[in-house]
Amino acid sequence: MSTTPILEVRGLSKSFGGLSVIKDLDITVGTGEVVSVIGPNGAGKTTLFNLISGIYQPDEGNIMLDGESIMGSGPDQISNLGVARTFQTLRIFLNMTVRENVMAATYGSTKTRMWQSALRTPAARREEDEVRSIAEEKLAFFGDRLMGYRWDQPAYSLSYANRRRLEIARAMATNPRLLMLDEPAAGMNPAETHEITELIGRLREEAGYSILVIEHDMHVVEGISDRVIALDHGVKIAEGSFEDVAEDPLVIEAYLGYGAASTE
Amino acid sequence: MSNIGVDSWVAESAERDERYTGWAGPARRLLDRVPSGWKLLVFLAVAAVYPLLVPQAGVRIGITALLLAMLAIGLNTVVGWAGLLDLGYIAFYGFGAYFYAMVSSDQLSVHWPTWVSIPVVVAASALLGALLSLPSRRLVGDYLAIMTLFFAQVFLEVIVNFERLPGVDIDLTGGPNGIIGVEPWQLFGFSLNTFNRNFYLLLLLLGLLIAVLRNIDESRTGRAWRALREDTLAAAHMTTPVNRLKMLAFAVGAAIAGLTGTILGPVQVGVFPNNFQLLFLITIYAALILGGLGSIPGAVLGAVAVAFTPEILRNPGTAGWLFYVALAVLLVSLLRKRAMVASVFVGLAVFGYALRFTLLAIWDESILGAANDTFLSRLLDSWLLILGPAQDLASNYAFVLAVGGMLGVIVAKGWWRVALLVPTVYLAVFVWENKLALQPSVTRQLLFGGVLVVMMAVRPQGMLGTRRVEIT
Amino acid sequence: MEFLLQQTVNGLTLGSVYALLALGYSMVYGVLKFLNFAHGEVYMFGAFAGYGVLTVLGGPTGLLVPVWLALTLMFVGAMVVSSGVGLALERFAYRPLRSASRLAPLISAIGASFFLQAAALLLFSANSRSYDAPTLIPIANGLTIGPINVWAVRVLVIVTAVVLMVLLTWWVRSSRAGKAVRAVSFDTEAAAMMGVDVDRVIVVTFLIGSALAGVGGVMVGLVFGRIFHFMGFIAGLKAFTAAVVGGIGSIPGAMLGGLLIGFAEAYTTAYISSTFQNLIVFGLLIAFLLIRPSGFLGRPELVKV
Repeated sequence: MSTTPILEVRGLSKSFGGLSVIKDLDITVGTGEVVSVIGPNGAGKTTLFNLISGIYQPDEGNIMLDGESIMGSGPDQISNLGVARTFQTLRIFLNMTVRENVMAATYGSTKTRMWQSALRTPAARREEDEVRSIAEEKLAFFGDRLMGYRWDQPAYSLSYANRRRLEIARAMATNPRLLMLDEPAAGMNPAETHEITELIGRLREEAGYSILVIEHDMHVVEGISDRVIALDHGVKIAEGSFEDVAEDPLVIEAYLGYGAASTE
Repeated sequence: MSNIGVDSWVAESAERDERYTGWAGPARRLLDRVPSGWKLLVFLAVAAVYPLLVPQAGVRIGITALLLAMLAIGLNTVVGWAGLLDLGYIAFYGFGAYFYAMVSSDQLSVHWPTWVSIPVVVAASALLGALLSLPSRRLVGDYLAIMTLFFAQVFLEVIVNFERLPGVDIDLTGGPNGIIGVEPWQLFGFSLNTFNRNFYLLLLLLGLLIAVLRNIDESRTGRAWRALREDTLAAAHMTTPVNRLKMLAFAVGAAIAGLTGTILGPVQVGVFPNNFQLLFLITIYAALILGGLGSIPGAVLGAVAVAFTPEILRNPGTAGWLFYVALAVLLVSLLRKRAMVASVFVGLAVFGYALRFTLLAIWDESILGAANDTFLSRLLDSWLLILGPAQDLASNYAFVLAVGGMLGVIVAKGWWRVALLVPTVYLAVFVWENKLALQPSVTRQLLFGGVLVVMMAVRPQGMLGTRRVEIT
Repeated sequence: MEFLLQQTVNGLTLGSVYALLALGYSMVYGVLKFLNFAHGEVYMFGAFAGYGVLTVLGGPTGLLVPVWLALTLMFVGAMVVSSGVGLALERFAYRPLRSASRLAPLISAIGASFFLQAAALLLFSANSRSYDAPTLIPIANGLTIGPINVWAVRVLVIVTAVVLMVLLTWWVRSSRAGKAVRAVSFDTEAAAMMGVDVDRVIVVTFLIGSALAGVGGVMVGLVFGRIFHFMGFIAGLKAFTAAVVGGIGSIPGAMLGGLLIGFAEAYTTAYISSTFQNLIVFGLLIAFLLIRPSGFLGRPELVKV
């Protein structure tokens, strides 16, 4: 087990047109850890993800992946370095088939050039078969839900929960070291939420990913987290185990308002 | 019981696919089972026989269709596959044509051998495409479209005004008169200087391109383009180097256009600024949209339809059939009950005769003119008012009223629609026989414009495309 | 010096026309986030409508009514026809595609533009028409400002444009309908949730934008004489450039952009060569799109991920 944390964020700050969204934030994720980020809406959680994945550049601070800075890189470079994410608003490739969605994510780890594809060289065909089986393997992780005839269905025919699973499968196909899940349980009923909790556990155990999760559903947070970080107005207000953070008066105040902490 | 969790409805969806309804259903199911390689060969075989069956004028039209088909599949790569709005595509065509013309004519007294000029022109076109892709890093959607449109305009301005640019001594481009005397391709001792030879050259190139593009479409590059089109941001997060792929799409599209341009010169024995106006760009788009954006067979089919339409329109007889058949089809698709359709016909008869009777009573027969020289026109002559002296003026008013009527028909429902259709159809036929049939080029432009608008509202995926789901 | 002043007046005149056209583009983009490619054709039909009214009233030589009345009727007629075309476009070519992809309305607009050009060709033939303004408003009438003599017709154009723009700005700022337009421009969904009838706002926007374009069409006929079925295309491109340079979606931006493009064109023609006027204008657009797509006064778009 490596001692360098897989993700280290130091002194991160970001403003949009005078409005400070993230202020002097420090976050670490150890290799093999599952860390949850919680906080009320507008706390800057998704902005944090956007900064890490390269959509925005920070105003101050540093972001390091396994000891190396990834500042200034764009999303495609960062995803090739081993950071994969899902989106709060769910961004799968609707008009592509389920299998194709996942195959598309293997681009960075394949090397067939266009001219080789054009001529269907044996090397091209070999790599295509490999990519296909990688996609099917990732989809198999989700049991029966995304198997068999589903592979050839367009992604828009999937149910909401299956779409979220597909998004995770697609992220897995990029061979990440760090997986960032943005509200994976959003919009799910209790049964599906329970499945997601188990799924994240399996992602850590069986697939060995380090995982950073944004979640609102405290059942999920409780079930998966090694550590919880609470944000409010772009600032870290608590960090620790789930129990510690859940009882922290600042956290309660952030969610329920001033004075709520004193009602016990 | 064991079907729980298996979405059987979705699994059986292939049989319920909306494309397969209607009278074309069984044919299309059969067609789908034939592997596309065979379909390509059949198409090529049929096309290969074409020049042997038609006079040289027909071959020339066939060449136009093939040129358009190549441009359409090239445009499809950029717009249909990668989803990049390129309204400047015509500039690549022009670039290839002019570059080839400059090195294969007396314009600059430069005569490169074909095996040198073609690869150089294609490579240069690809480079130009890559260059134009640079703005697409920052501009998306409408803005990219505008930018590329303006680039095409700049290209045209430069071509026409080149010699007048400050500090320029040589007449590179022939100005408004273009470059004439463009030499044909020379391959293996053959000079491709006849229509037939160029036709087969184009057919060969088209076939190769289709095969190659299909392979690319089913490979990681094709997938990456599709991902790029679906959701550029998500694609970037999934290891797709989006900027590089945009550049690749532009380059490939431009290369195809440039290649096509090198054949235009020999066929016309010259290249002229008029070949590269916006009008032609719209034609390429019309072909692609009609056939089905994103579909290679669609692009080819659309190109053939669009290329042959002007010819159909030019001949009054066939044009008339096209018009009336289209009108009948439109009528049937607009009205839900057969009784309604019948009522329209009855109403038309009554309306037409009544109108004719009234007008002839007020003014006498001197207002009438001769029927057009087609079967249908003569048939309808006794019912329809084909005017003499006031023909032009009356047609203009009728046209405006007919357009208004059509818009009203779209809005009206049920029997109101039937009522409005009677005068509208009458006016449409009136305008056709009195004006449109006699002006095929204007009719063509009306048709293309109208088709684009209607297609987008009614069937945006074209003839052979697949319905897309868009996130709004 | 005199030459420069004269060119400045030319620039103002041209700029006024472009500003009126650019307003239509900007306003429609503001509420629909969509570029109405067929706007140039709306303007062209306005020009022809003005000509039609003039002809009905007896033509420049045999006018049946006083000149001021004729001009007013021409402007009104143009506004009516242009609005009609604009409203038809909105209702039949664009509204059905509100929820479709980004490509569909664009293609539809191009198709509509094409169709309208062909219709004009059909109705008016390829021959150009002339307003014969010098007969209508003799050049002898004019304003003398310092060393130069400004033709009356140019004064008319500039003054009318200014008046219309002032009215528009006042309307957008103070009236309820104007506020509704601004609200829809800013955030369509929120406006709808606040009870604004978005469909109606869009219709009103098209109405005003098209009417202004119609006025622009008559102005061009008066100042430059020739009108023809293809005039909408190039003018449309330039007005569009003006809208982008000034800041698409911004009303003062469209006015500013129109003036800038007008000056650019006037000075280029005068000091360099008329051959390059188009090139310079197009080059301006490309430069702006690359460097500052939101133009001078526009708001850069923030997209929430």
